[in-house]
Formats: sequence, structure tokens, C-alpha cells
Amino acid sequence: MNETDRRTKLMQFAAGAVFLAIVVVVALIVVNSGSDGGDAENIEGAAEVSSALQGIPQNEMVLGDPKAPVELVEFGDLQCPVCKGFAEEILPPIIENQVKNGEAKIDFRNFTIIGPESVDAGAAALAAGAQGRGWYFVELFYKNQGIEGSGYADDAFVEAIAKAAGVEDMAKWNEDRKLMRVEVEETSQEAQQLGFSGTPSFAIEGPGTKGLETLGTPGSTGAFEEAIEEAG
Amino acid sequence: MSYPSEDTLRRATAFVAALGVGVATYIAIAESGGGSPVCLAGGSGCKTVAESSYSHVAGVNIAVFGVVGYLLLLATAFFANDLARFGAFAVSLGGFGYSIFLTYVELFKIEAICQWCVASAVLMTILFLISATRLIAYGGNELEAAR
Repeated sequence: MNETDRRTKLMQFAAGAVFLAIVVVVALIVVNSGSDGGDAENIEGAAEVSSALQGIPQNEMVLGDPKAPVELVEFGDLQCPVCKGFAEEILPPIIENQVKNGEAKIDFRNFTIIGPESVDAGAAALAAGAQGRGWYFVELFYKNQGIEGSGYADDAFVEAIAKAAGVEDMAKWNEDRKLMRVEVEETSQEAQQLGFSGTPSFAIEGPGTKGLETLGTPGSTGAFEEAIEEAG
Repeated sequence: MSYPSEDTLRRATAFVAALGVGVATYIAIAESGGGSPVCLAGGSGCKTVAESSYSHVAGVNIAVFGVVGYLLLLATAFFANDLARFGAFAVSLGGFGYSIFLTYVELFKIEAICQWCVASAVLMTILFLISATRLIAYGGNELEAAR
């Protein structure tokens, strides 16, 4: 084989390799571009959640300045898609404004209506809250929520969420979450006693209210802003 | 079109590949005990990336594949024949392509950037450009190979 032939053959191999590489990279990106959530191997949004909650005090499941005059209580089920919608669409401006400026704080309480995995997930969130990572857990859970009732919220999934949420002492978290199922049941009963039947349901307490008053499920950020202003 | 001499391209390959071995080895060692590389400019990007599921393929840290790839590229710098030229091109093409995928993953899936991964991606891109130049300029050139 002369030099020209050898060179032609090399270039053909090189062109083939480039074509193959392009196909493989595009295929990898396409395969990885979609996500149905609920994947313990692929927890997404940790940086986004971290950025949204950065600098806001967290005390167990309460997000915001402990001295904030108004307390907004969310009764939610971590497996509930409507709760996910609230967490991603309606509540972020409230957290960014009313919570960050010390006007209000938000207390997440479990109201488990979907199934036994909701109780496990709720207890896992409370255990994360015991290490100051409760809201990171809740927000990340919603971001990675799978299809309701598909069985995605197993031990591997909540453990992956806890790790991504920044829970440092996983052994303690593991112990705590077993004990905290009781608290999940208690807040679920509390929600029922308040007359709630679905999630998310909200209640509010502040100088302008007579104790904890129910809000039901306000449908917009504006409705929350108004309720906080009236309660303050 | 004039190209740098093949000796120059081989020396550049050796230099950049040696840097790559260093970067990939650091990432592999830092992550071997369940830890993560330290981001020099602060932040938790390296930790987030290291803890993601994308940091391992078939249970093996991808930095280990990086070390192997850079060592192969380093080896190709010691030979001036078509096997070395095409080998360098193929390995760096694979590394460059996978770096594009990993950068996509960092930006859009993990939503965190690890400086060490970016450094490795830059080095692999440089190696791909050098190797492609070497193959185009000297591929099939037995005179150069005989030197």
C-alpha cells in the first residue's frame, strides 16, 4: 500500500470515528434528557434548591426567622403532585419575599393521604429537619417526585433525597425517621381535625388572627400574600 | 497549509496528557474514600457532581477511565507511526465526546459545575485538537514515522 492509499484509509477511519462519536454523544444526551422523576439514581435540582433556600433559617420543619410574626402552616403529602405544583409555582415568591424579609415563616406538616410510603417519606423529612435540612428535603423530594402510586418513594429514594439535601449524619437520620412516624400520624390527625380533606391545605397564625385559622387551598401567590398581610 | 512539526505535536501531547493524568488521578483519589475534590474557588459544585449518579459507570469512578485515557494518550506521544497517530485521535475523540456529554450533564442535569471536571474537559479538548492536527498533517507519512 502506498502512502496515498494509506493516508486515504486513515482519513476514512477518522471520519467514521467522528461520525460514530457524534451519534454516541447525541444518543447519550437524548437518553438522559428526559426524566419521569422518582429515580433514586438521578436526584436533580440540589443546586437550585440550595440557592433558593440559602441564608434562610430552618428550625426543624419551620422555614424562616423564628421571630417572624406570621406563621403559615402547610399540610402536605410529599407524594402529592398538587403539592409539588404549589412548591414549584406558587410558594417560591412567598419564600423569596415574605419569608426572606422576616414577615412570615412556613411550617411544613405532614398530612399523608396517598399511602404508607407517604408516612415513610414524611418521617424521613422530619428526620432531615432534626439536622436543619428539612426544607431542603421537602423541596428536593417535590422536584424529584415520581408518578403517584408507582412505588418510587422507597427507602433508596428517600435516602438519596436525604443525601442530596445535605443530611450529614445519615445514621442518626436513619434512626430518627423510624421514631418520627408517630409525629407524621399526629399532624395528619391535626389536619383532619382542622377540617382538611386534601393536600396541600394551609392554615395561618399571626397577630391578626384568632389562633390558627384555616385558609384551605389558596389558588395563587397573591392570595397567600393577602392572607399573610391580614394575619400580620 | 503549514503545520507544526510532528515532534512539536508529540511533545505538546505528552505535556497536556501528563497534566490530564494529574487532574484525573486527583479526582479519582479524592472520590475513592467517598469524598470529593475540593473546588479551589469554593462552593459545593465538586461535591454535588461527585455525589451524583453520573460520577460512576458500572460502579467504576469515571475519573479512573480518565486516568487510563490520559495514560494511553501519553503513550502515543512516544511513537511516530500511524498506529500512534490514529490511536491518539481515537482516544482523544472518545474523551472529547464524553466530555461534551458530561458538561451537558453538569449544566442541565446535576446543575452544578466541578472545576476539576471542566479542567479535564479543556485538556481533553486540547488533546483532541492536537491529535486531529497530527493525524491530518502526518497520517500515512512513513518518512515522518521513520525519523
